[in-house]
Order: sequence, then C-alpha cells, then structure tokens
Amino acid sequence: MNRFLATDALRKWVPLLVLVGLCLFFTALNPNFLSLRNFARIAISSSPALMVAIGVTFVILMGSIDLSMEGTVAVCAVVFALILNALGGTIAGRGWVALPAALLVGAALGAINGIVHVKLRIPSFMASLSLGFVGIGLSLLITGGDRILIDDPPFRSLLTVRVEGFPLMAYAALACLLVAWFIQDHTTVGRNFYAVGGGEDLARASGLNVGRLRIIGFVLAGVFYALGAIFAVARLGIAETETGRNFMFMSITSVVVGGTALRGGEGGVWNTLVGVLIVNVIGNGMVVIGLADYFQDGVLGLLVIAAVYLSTDRRSLSFVK
Amino acid sequence: MSFIKTYIERQTLNRRTMLLMSAYGLFGAAATAGLRPGPARAAASNGPRIAWSYRDRTNPYWNAIVSGGNAFVQSLGLPQSALINLINEGSSEKSLSDIQSLLARYGSGVALAVDPNDMPNCRPVVEAVSKAGAYVSTIWNKTDDLHPWDFGDHYVSHMTWSDVGPSEQTARVLFDAMGGKGGVVHLGGIASNNPAIERLAGFRNALKAYPNIQLLAVQAADWDTQKANQVMSGFLTRYGDSIKGVHCASDTMAYGVIEALRAEGIEDMPVVSYDGNPQAVELVTKGKILATVFTNPYWAGGITASLAYYAASGAFKPSAEPHEHREFYGPTTLVTTKDAQDFKARYIDTNPQYDWKNFWALARGQIRYG
Repeated sequence: MNRFLATDALRKWVPLLVLVGLCLFFTALNPNFLSLRNFARIAISSSPALMVAIGVTFVILMGSIDLSMEGTVAVCAVVFALILNALGGTIAGRGWVALPAALLVGAALGAINGIVHVKLRIPSFMASLSLGFVGIGLSLLITGGDRILIDDPPFRSLLTVRVEGFPLMAYAALACLLVAWFIQDHTTVGRNFYAVGGGEDLARASGLNVGRLRIIGFVLAGVFYALGAIFAVARLGIAETETGRNFMFMSITSVVVGGTALRGGEGGVWNTLVGVLIVNVIGNGMVVIGLADYFQDGVLGLLVIAAVYLSTDRRSLSFVK
Repeated sequence: MSFIKTYIERQTLNRRTMLLMSAYGLFGAAATAGLRPGPARAAASNGPRIAWSYRDRTNPYWNAIVSGGNAFVQSLGLPQSALINLINEGSSEKSLSDIQSLLARYGSGVALAVDPNDMPNCRPVVEAVSKAGAYVSTIWNKTDDLHPWDFGDHYVSHMTWSDVGPSEQTARVLFDAMGGKGGVVHLGGIASNNPAIERLAGFRNALKAYPNIQLLAVQAADWDTQKANQVMSGFLTRYGDSIKGVHCASDTMAYGVIEALRAEGIEDMPVVSYDGNPQAVELVTKGKILATVFTNPYWAGGITASLAYYAASGAFKPSAEPHEHREFYGPTTLVTTKDAQDFKARYIDTNPQYDWKNFWALARGQIRYG
C-alpha cells in the first residue's frame, strides 16, 4: 500500500480518489446523495468557500499563512452591501460599482496584511490573525452589529437562476478558478510563488524581490476573499459580521486536504477545488445520511485527518512541526 | 500652563479608557468614548456606574438589549456613553474577569446588569458583586439553587423566559398551516443551551396533539444562518418533497432555511421561528415566516439595568420585595401573520415609551422550578 502511494504520479490523484470514495460512501448509504439537485446544493455551499480557499492557496504556496479571511470577508461583504444599497440597490443600475469596490477593499486589506508582515517583519501567522480581528471589529463598527439585507433580483440571480441544473454562482466561481489557475501557471508572479515556497533562499539569491512578491500574494488573496464575500452575500442575501464566520477553518482545511503542502511550494488551485469539494461533500453527506448531530463535528475532524494522511507523502518530510 | 493641565487630564482619561478597553471589547467603542469624554463621565460620577455584560454585538438580540440599556441611561439624563458595555464573547472567564475589573475600579458604586453566559458562572459573578457591596440583576443563566433573596439586597433580581409554551404555540401554527399532516423538520440551537432545549421540548409537546404530523429530523444548526442553510439543503436531499414544514428555534436560522428553499425555487413552505427580530417580523408580515415569538429584549435590557440602578441608588429595597419581584419570567408575545403589521408598528418601527421605574409591568409571574 505504501509503495503504491509513494509513487508521485499516483499520490497527486489521491485527494480526487478520496473525493470519489466519499461520494460512493454517501451514495451507498443514501442514493439520494447522487443526484444533480444535491450536487447543485453542494456547489452552492462550495462557491464562497472555494474563493476564500483559492485566496489562501496563493499565500500557502509561498510558505506563509493567512488567517485574516474571516475579518476580510466580513468587511468586504458589509462594504459591498452598503455601497449597493446606497447606489440604488441594484447591480443593474449604478449599484454595480459595489462589485469593484468590494474587490478594492479586499485588495487594500490584503496589502495592509502583506505590508505589516513584510515591512514590520511580523510572522504572517500573527500579522494576519491580528488583522483578521481588526477586520471583524471594523465590520462591527460599520454595521453596529446589524444585518444588511440584499434583495436585488439581478444580483440574487447568482443563486436563483439555473443553467443545466446549477446556479449561476457555480459558473462564476468556476470562471474565477480558471483565472486563478492562469495566474498560478502562466504568469511570472504565479511561478515565483512556487519559487519562494520551494526555497526562499534560492529565490532570494537569484535576485527575486521576495518582500514585494509576498505583498502581491496577500493582495491577490484579499481580492479572492472579496469574491468569496460577494458569493456569500449572494447565497444568503445578508451581509453582516457573521458572514465571515467559519471561513478560516473551512478554507485552511480545504487547502490542506486538497494536497497543497503547508510548508509551501507544492500543490495549487486545482488541489484546492478538490479540497473544498471534499469538505463540503462531508458536510452535506453527514446530514444526508442522517448522522446524529453530536457525531458530526467529531467525524468531520477524523475525516480531515484521514484525508491529509492519505494525500501527503510523509517520508519526504524531514520533520513535522 | 493650562495646556499641560489639559494634557494631563486627557492622559488620565486615556488611561481610564485603556483600562476599560477590554471591557468595551471594541476599539471603536473605546475611540468614540475617548473622543468625547468630559461631561459624560462627570455626570455619571454622581450616581452608581451602570454596566451591561453580555455576549456580543453581532446578534440582533443583544443589540436590542443594549438599545434598551441605552434608553434607560438616557432616561436618567445621561448620554448613551454612560452605559459601560462589557462584552464576554461567549466566554464565562472573560465575563467574570471583566466584572471583577469593573468592581476593582468602582467598588460598591456599580449597578450591573448581566447575562452570565452560562449557568455555573452566575454564582461567582453574584458573589463578587455582593462582596464588593455593589448591585447586580441577572437574566437567562442561573442555577436553580441560587436565589437573589439569599444575598440580601445586592443580588437584586433574576429574569428568564420560559420558551416551552411559546415554542409549542409556533409549532401549532406551523402544523395548522400544514393542514395537520405531512413531514416536519426542526432546526435547533446549540444543543446544550437552555433555550434550545426548551424550544425543542415545546415543539415535541405540540407533536403529541397532531398524530398525522411526521417528525422527519431534529438537527442542531447552532443559531447560525450559514449552518442552517447547509443543514436545510441536506434535509432537502434526504427527505425531498416529504418536507412540508420547518420549525426553527431562532430567527437567525430561519433566514438560512428560507434562502436554502429559495435556491430550490420553493417559495411557499411553511416556516416558523423564534425571537421576534425586526427582520423576522418583516418576513412575518410578508408571510414568509408564519410565526415568531417576541421576548422584548429592548424592555429587558432597560429594566434589568434599571432594577440594579435603583437598588444601588436606594430608591427601593430589594429585600423588602416579595419573591415574585426578585425571580420572574419575562414577557413573550406570539407574532403571527394576522397581527404582524400592527405589532411591527408598535414594537419594531418605534420602541414604546416604557416607565423604567415600573419594574414588573411586563413580568409574567415567579419562576417555577422542577
């Protein structure tokens, strides 16, 4: 078994096999799981999570970590909703400005994150965690703890309009994934993420401005968090501080389960897609097979450990920290 | 040299603000308080300091509690900033340590309104306040063996709400709307929370009277909109068209349920909820939610602070009051599609003018145990 898994070519496909295995498992217990309508439901819950997870994938590829997503998502969601409502309440009119504005806010928060990390030389773990709290505080300050409702039919069509059984949101998320894949594989910045993650000293020695690259990575992550925020608002029609809740666990878990190494330099956005689907299939499947709710959190944790165990080659790790 | 004096004064105030930073929880609240310090604090220093300790500001329920507290301090001629907000973020340890800091700072001159976060935390909070010679009124969380009258005057009162009856009423509204037959699912709060337990119990009571209603599933969604959304999608896969009605233990979860249904193009599923938040009442007027229960957090926020304050100021002597004035149930009002419009006009669009000295105007009798 171990030798079988050790071959790199096969190991790459392990997360996907885990995903397929999970689907078969849940289908065996409840055939309803394997239906277009259920996959559409999984797609809806996955779309915001996928955006946030893609964002943090870039940062993790560089060997850093970003834990600011809950705060950033909350601020972007709230700013998006406020601008949309202030400019007529519909993206069909002047309200469309809210979309780029939210992305800008995400980029700005990411930039602050990156600058604090790089210029003040604070570990990304601490810098981003702290700024995440600042983000949550900021969104509370903006909303005063209230919820902002978005009931704009053109915007909510992301959820309500379906093509081939899937909501528009799923296609939009897929398009963003392709953009992320393009950035990762076909731009200098994308290649450099791998270079820094694989060996920062080497990258530095070959003249790469690592500090600048890190800041770019965090900005990019911020933009994807903003996209996640927009999808999250489209999904529930509510923007509030709570909108960001749970994204930290969800996205980091997805990235790791998908097979991207936390030490950096390995993995990518396609792994993240598989990881997000694994986590959401587990979440959906546990309800679908009717697992008692006091088991669900525990089972989720165990399944995550199992998925990580299967998808990482531990013999290549000299140490685990 | 007056600028030096001003500077020192401001620094003293800033130090005080810093000390209260953890109490305020939010740098924003601290900043606004710091920007306009002078008169507010000067005025408040005459009477007892009024503080509210509660879970968080991301929840409409606690926001309503705080606005009631604000309305009460304004009734004393004080600005809103005179109300000290202690936010425990769901941690009993933080709840207690914030209160201890407050008592260390102001001693006996404190009138505290508090939800101790969980039941065991109530005793240390009450003992700390009582030892400092200050005054406290609690809501929601208290163990059954702890009674205000055992602490003389310092533990002024405890208010809680019995959710079993009202939750049964919403379930009955739901079952009637379903025509008395078909499958139903229940989305509950955090399983160990007292309101979650009571609201589920009420739901189960109603089920007994409707033999043709089939209970499909009960699942905790932790009072959370997003989790409720995901749980409801799972239910739709598991039970599909057998689901004819949804019973939610809170408004916040009902929002997630309604969106999960909307994503499937289901617009007319009977849904009931609990808490009577403004957005939920709005949805009741539109028929999207058939019923919710209003517990009047605005009044609760004001009257709990008022009880502690007037006991501290000596306006009334708690130990001279009967037991039913020291441990009592808060008000619950069922809001249905029939009366939602009227209810909204009276309680949501404006807040009624309450007489904060009429402490037991809306109380519903002494708390019963067992």
